[in-house]
Amino acid sequence: MRLSSETTAVVLDSTADLPEPAARHPNWRLVPLYVRFGDETYRDHVDLGAVEFYEKLRASDAQPQSSQPTPADFEAAFAELEGFERILCVLISGKLSGTAESARLAAQARGDDRVTVIDSESVSGGVVILADAIQRRLDRGTTLEETEEVVARFQRESTILFTVDTLDYLVRGGRVGKAAGLAGQLLSVKPILAIDEGEVEPLKRVRGRQKALGELLRLFEEGTEDGPALHVGVAHADAEAELETLVGRIRELRPQASLDFQAQLGPVIGTHGGPGTIGLFWFRDEE
Amino acid sequence: MPGGALTVVEAALAALEASRRRIDDLNVYPVPDGDTGTNMTMTVRAVRDALAGATELDAEAELALVARSCLMGARGNSGVILSQLVRGAVEGLNGGPETAGDLAPRLRGASDAGYAAVREPQEGTMLTVARELAERAEALDPALPLGDALAEVVAHGEVALARTQEQLDVLRDAGVVDAGGAGVLELVRGIAALVRGEPLPEPEVGTGPLPEEAVHRELSRYRYCTSFFVEGEEVAPDALERELGAFGDSLLVVGARGAVKVHVHTDEPGRAIALATSVGVIEEVSIENMHVQTAVREERITHSGPPPSTAGPAATAVVAVVAGAGNARLFRDLGAAAIVEGGQTMNPPTSQLLQAIDGLDAAGAVLLPNNKNVILAAEQAAAEAGKPVEVVETTSMQAGLAALVPFDAAAALDENAREMREAATAVRSGAVAPASRAATIDGIEVAEGEFLGLADGAAVAAGASVEEVARAVAAHLLEPGADVLTILLGDGAPSVNGLRDELAEAHPALEIDVHEGGQPHYPLLFAAE
Repeated sequence: MRLSSETTAVVLDSTADLPEPAARHPNWRLVPLYVRFGDETYRDHVDLGAVEFYEKLRASDAQPQSSQPTPADFEAAFAELEGFERILCVLISGKLSGTAESARLAAQARGDDRVTVIDSESVSGGVVILADAIQRRLDRGTTLEETEEVVARFQRESTILFTVDTLDYLVRGGRVGKAAGLAGQLLSVKPILAIDEGEVEPLKRVRGRQKALGELLRLFEEGTEDGPALHVGVAHADAEAELETLVGRIRELRPQASLDFQAQLGPVIGTHGGPGTIGLFWFRDEE
Repeated sequence: MPGGALTVVEAALAALEASRRRIDDLNVYPVPDGDTGTNMTMTVRAVRDALAGATELDAEAELALVARSCLMGARGNSGVILSQLVRGAVEGLNGGPETAGDLAPRLRGASDAGYAAVREPQEGTMLTVARELAERAEALDPALPLGDALAEVVAHGEVALARTQEQLDVLRDAGVVDAGGAGVLELVRGIAALVRGEPLPEPEVGTGPLPEEAVHRELSRYRYCTSFFVEGEEVAPDALERELGAFGDSLLVVGARGAVKVHVHTDEPGRAIALATSVGVIEEVSIENMHVQTAVREERITHSGPPPSTAGPAATAVVAVVAGAGNARLFRDLGAAAIVEGGQTMNPPTSQLLQAIDGLDAAGAVLLPNNKNVILAAEQAAAEAGKPVEVVETTSMQAGLAALVPFDAAAALDENAREMREAATAVRSGAVAPASRAATIDGIEVAEGEFLGLADGAAVAAGASVEEVARAVAAHLLEPGADVLTILLGDGAPSVNGLRDELAEAHPALEIDVHEGGQPHYPLLFAAE
């Protein structure tokens, strides 16, 4: 069965940090996660945007908490996409969130095979880069098998690197994974982290913010070759000036690369990374 | 030679104890440097204790015990070198020497073993003295009786020791002879006295049967470690001991009528001092809060290292030699699995390092000596350990902290050692230290009681104000550019808030990290990276 952008919708969850997916591609939709501050619950990127979130985080004593969309949320989103023959859900790593599980339950409840749930094993801009790769194939016409191939290759070959100002947020949210041993919070030690097979993995730690950003760039240079097939994304949590510097260096290092994603991490990812988080995503795709 | 090994060791120890303080005062640098006399004394005490506790050993086993216990008890650089001298002296010894001809190969063996143990042997050190003793013995008539031979050797040793001052620039600048060399000479002097049937040297006032370090390891229910020196006609050791004992423990009252050194643990240090000033004049008063140190020690015992991140033993674990409760916290926070207390003036013995290494639940160990005087002991511990050990030769705690940053418990030992060495060399260290005597170092003149500023191992400033000297050190370290400046506040450190604000303004991109390190002797330690 041929899939095209006319017949196939792509559903992202809000942790892709793309507040208006339909503006990027008309067949894209968003299902938000939730973020709770005390008694108040907001839909990620819908009721509460990134800028207000970090203001709230600074002002509030309460620690935000996130929760996945319910299966009913996905069912409602699918119901609104009746005009499409197929729905591809491209979602945050199942090891970081139960979002894909909710989507799967909603898909099963339909009793048909119209919905395919894809665990990106990635997060934020990484998910967008994967959805872009799928979209490029949809635009020229593709098959489910070919889609699965690009997903598998993305899971193998794509890279997500990030640094956080402190591991506290990852620890508090239970997402620190094997990075727990990095510790070193007393001496402004900055961890360099990756997401590998869907989980947070410690890479190394360096002293100070400048070295952390330098290390991200060094790993980027080491892991990439210049060319238009190189798709790059960057994101920050309340650290825009540093992100601009990073982008400038990325453009110098890989002038032909396609910088496809530049955004502020939204409330849910911000809850887990904390202010100061900077992420770098890349994937080589010849399509 | 009269008596067994224990008698000989006791004679050597008595002579060394008698000069311990004098040797301690022979600092080769105008900052409070390694307690060479104390280190050597404690090293020889370890041998004495081992021999005293051993029964029914044959001559060969007894000599093996001397060599081994000396190494295991070796404290500091001087202690480790001494242990090598002792090993070289007793190796292959068969029956007591009777003549100069018997003595010469013993001294030559000691000298050779000492030189072999040091990577870059320096002249003007205890090695020089050991070698000169051997050369003198070799030049004597081989038939000369042992007592006469030793007298000749000691007399020559005095000359050789005096000459060390001309052989090493740091000694010449400071106007002293080498402390380790003085220790070696005292040991031989003690043995010579025993052999010749002469009385052993009397201990100086102020040296006690127990070193204060040993007392500090006792558990005390009191908070303050208080020590002072009191002089006066009415000063009576017995009476002081009785009265102090009523409100303190770990009591040491050492000396004779008229001049006494007091060490006591108490909750009422003021009362102890008042007691002393009522009978005499006090000097060298020191009051330290021990509960901070005890808490750190307990914490170390109950929680060593960071929470385990993966199941099973680590591939690599780190043992660090650290001075100061706050610094110990920083090392643990960065993932050091075991902390051995020690540093500039308290060099841990090889046995303590070995114990820490053996206690690790890891395939391999990295040892961070964090002081040049601990490197040799660390290397000896590495050689003796039951698991592979890499000594990353950090010469400051600042370098040790930098080395720990890339440490990864899951990575293999050699990989960790490589990364940690690289990180240690990338840091630039500085310090502000009080000068214990007037001297000119690297062209910087410092008066006694002033502060000396060190950057990258060289003196860069001196002055009466810690802040002023600190400013100069920081400027020096930041001059080539740096991302992070760490300041570790030692005992009695002044506030550095003013300096911090100044630096933050002058270097907007610089991250400044200030921590309570709690290290003794250095009010401020700096690291720029």
